[in-house]
Amino acid sequence: MSKEFMPKIISFLCKWCTYSGADLAGTNRMKYPPSILPLRVMCSSRVNPVFLIKSFLHGADGVLIGGCHPGDCHYQSGNYYTRRRFAILTTIFDSLGLESERLKLSWISAAEGTKFVRVSTEFNEKIKSMGENPAKKKIFL
Amino acid sequence: MESKKTSSKIGVYICECGPNIADNIDIDTIIARLPSLEEYQNKELVVKRYKLLCSNEGKEFLENEIRENEFTHLVVAACSPRDHDTTFINVCKKTQLNPYLYKMVNIREQCAWIIPDKEKATEKAIRYIRAATSRVLKQSELIEKQLDIDPGVLVIGGGISGIETALSLAGKERKVYLVEKSSELGGKMNMFKELLPRQNGNRDIIEKKIEEVKKNESITIFLETELESAVGFLGNFEISLKNIKNNQPGAEFTVGAIVAATGFRLTDTGKLAQYKYSKESEVYTSLEIENMIKRDGKIVLKSGKEPESVGLIHCVGREEKGYCSQICCNYMLKFISFLQQQSDSIKIKDFYRDMCLPHKEDQGFFEEVKNKGADFIRISDVKIKGTHVEYTPIGKDKKEVDVDMVILAPAMEPEKGTEELAELFNVPLSETNFFQEEHQQLNPVETSIEGIFIVGACHGPAGISESMLQAQAASGKISTRLIPGKKIVPEVKVSEIMEDFCMGCRTCMDICSYGAITFDGELSVCVVNEAICRGCGNCAGSCPSGAIRAKHFTSAQIYQEIIEAIR
Repeated sequence: MSKEFMPKIISFLCKWCTYSGADLAGTNRMKYPPSILPLRVMCSSRVNPVFLIKSFLHGADGVLIGGCHPGDCHYQSGNYYTRRRFAILTTIFDSLGLESERLKLSWISAAEGTKFVRVSTEFNEKIKSMGENPAKKKIFL
Repeated sequence: MESKKTSSKIGVYICECGPNIADNIDIDTIIARLPSLEEYQNKELVVKRYKLLCSNEGKEFLENEIRENEFTHLVVAACSPRDHDTTFINVCKKTQLNPYLYKMVNIREQCAWIIPDKEKATEKAIRYIRAATSRVLKQSELIEKQLDIDPGVLVIGGGISGIETALSLAGKERKVYLVEKSSELGGKMNMFKELLPRQNGNRDIIEKKIEEVKKNESITIFLETELESAVGFLGNFEISLKNIKNNQPGAEFTVGAIVAATGFRLTDTGKLAQYKYSKESEVYTSLEIENMIKRDGKIVLKSGKEPESVGLIHCVGREEKGYCSQICCNYMLKFISFLQQQSDSIKIKDFYRDMCLPHKEDQGFFEEVKNKGADFIRISDVKIKGTHVEYTPIGKDKKEVDVDMVILAPAMEPEKGTEELAELFNVPLSETNFFQEEHQQLNPVETSIEGIFIVGACHGPAGISESMLQAQAASGKISTRLIPGKKIVPEVKVSEIMEDFCMGCRTCMDICSYGAITFDGELSVCVVNEAICRGCGNCAGSCPSGAIRAKHFTSAQIYQEIIEAIR
């Protein structure tokens, strides 16, 4: 491939914190990779682990979940559930021989535009270094 | 049901946002590319650009376009939905198009402004619009319901917070029910003669307010009464009261909101080893001193003599509780000032750990008292044996002193019964056992249950002015939310449990922060109370059998978005 590899990173962003943080990055005209494809959800806890599996098997090179900081969830405690589900899912990924490093969970508040830029840039770099998601060629849904 | 809609007609409108989007994204390329994409081959697609869709002309343009084209679905690619989602929802509402068949795409904050390369920005915008367009085709109409409300309010607690709330809210069209467990109104303020900051004898503040409450025809007072049950949601709570004296059921009525103003008590110093003292010794808590000032007009020993030396100990129980009670330093200064006025020769030893002086008047008051000769000693440790005080000044060796009287400032804790009340409401308590607010900064006087508010010291240590502030804040929120004669529109993007798939495991019930899910024993399935559900989708994320649909965020809709975004 002569063209530079541009990963596709599905990003589930909670409406209250991380989505707003991403907006702030834009308002401040910060730059981050176009590979981040944001999907807005009401709360990170809406993200059923199946969504991540679905994204992964459909060929997403990485999946990012962004939620409110622990203790700061707009819905009291949704992000704690997200964290548990995420922990279990990465274990499942590892045991199936899938690359759990392609999944990332991060707490980014509405004020943390800079953090959003940093997290997404670093994650993008990491995925780039890992190359294309090999699972999409192996598994068919 | 979806199959009937083969004739879907989708409108995609791209806002230039002046130069904001137009300069960084090649809109013409989008207009040219979209219709040629395979997924739109057997669908009608209209793609247009407009200079500023949120302007009055823009909204009118969009409204006419929706009508004339008879769109079945609409996508608006513009700024962040945080800015203008509501704007375009309102445009849809003026037309035949159900607003839940519209979707906004953020190609400004999350495309045009973050990607310097115009070509790449355009690529991402196309990807993003495709994802939204596929998603919108999976969206379903949702119908907003309008519910009648009762504008009335139940206030629990007849202290200053409850009284102020009742007075702020009561009016011709709004009844207030004020419930107090003791036999009189006034709460802790009944114990005070003189108020902070400068012990000016303005006790008539509370007395006047109590009179006003009694005179107000829109306020019904229930003394020696407590809450038996409260069932419902914002706009409609069914209330039953209980008479404490004869343990008989009390009045029943409906209100639209509930305000807890149940206040505080002082922590039991008897439980703290270093502050143990017998009843005979000259050791008093701050509230006992307040009472004494009110009763006798002076601070005296049991013998009736005025003390010649007084030791005041701050932060009693602070370490054990893990929080600062905020008002104690101030009232200790008030006591010192009072003692200084009582006797010129009074010897004051004030043992403090940190001086908490949060209000603008406090520092001046502190300096005034200090300049009159009070000895302020910053300590790391203190212990009393009666009125014999052993203390360790910071960085120095242990010392001891005998005084005639010791005054303790015990930590404030939530009043007895707070836990039971929280359970009854199904609202959480914080780690400190005070009521937990919905959000410390953004929604400090409301709980996680919409329509249940917390004001005053049941919410955390608070003085009179903070309590008044909170009471007025909650009243403001309630009066804008529950407008007499107006209906409310509950959230429609709520969860729904499909009976056929639910296996009754109750996982969702356990994790719902709002108590919106109940178990139907007969059918052995869980059921969502739509009036309480806030639509976070946590239950849908947890359901092992996929029985829960988070409306407007269904799995089918999100799958579609995922697939298109990474196609």
